[in-house]
Amino acid sequence: MAAFLLSVHVLAAIVFVGPVTVAASLFPRYARAALAEPPDAGAAGVARALHRVSAGYAVAALVVPVFGVATAVQLGVLGEAWLLAAIAVTVLAGGLLAAVVVPGQRRVLAAVAEPDGDAPAPPADALARLAMATGVFSLLWAVVVVLMIVRPGSTTGVLR
Amino acid sequence: MSASWLRVVAVLEPLTLLLLVVNRATVHVPALAAAVGPVHGTLYLAGIALAWAAGLSRRSRLLAVVPAIGAWLALRGHTPVSPSS
Repeated sequence: MAAFLLSVHVLAAIVFVGPVTVAASLFPRYARAALAEPPDAGAAGVARALHRVSAGYAVAALVVPVFGVATAVQLGVLGEAWLLAAIAVTVLAGGLLAAVVVPGQRRVLAAVAEPDGDAPAPPADALARLAMATGVFSLLWAVVVVLMIVRPGSTTGVLR
Repeated sequence: MSASWLRVVAVLEPLTLLLLVVNRATVHVPALAAAVGPVHGTLYLAGIALAWAAGLSRRSRLLAVVPAIGAWLALRGHTPVSPSS
């Protein structure tokens, strides 16, 4: 049972979290081109698609922590320090994605759609801050993966 | 886009719970519970996330938190706005 749950957990991380990471990291480049003078309409389309991937796959990525906790319960490791740390970092990463990265992308796209219009233009450094938040998100879940492989403080980690 | 996925969740969320309860009350196969349980959990969380992402009314977004039928409740009060009306 734990093998099935862990397989789903890892597979879902690869299939859902991977694309979010790539799409979110590419978004600023295409958004910048779409906001430039003259605006690049092709880049605007790409930026919209990248946002849809970021937002949509972020919801699908809920599978990852749910099946992760289920695996931990089956393996009896839910109280271990490395796992609690990994869960805490995951919560941070998820919160960053949901509260900063995805809404930030939406605001930039609103400015792309209405360059002189009703949408309040994001401040000039908004794209830079979005890129930074995206980078932090990627770093955070990379830390989670390493924690789960090395498992500091446990006898079951890969480095023994 | 989010609203149609919310409809899928609204159906599957109570359905998976029903499956779990029926399993528990009858044959009680632990493997089924261990597999379907997390699916139901994911659907519950996805229902909340989708209600929030679809920009539903505040009431709908709060209703989505109700266990088992949250997504369905959120959709009930939601009348889609059509751009042509």
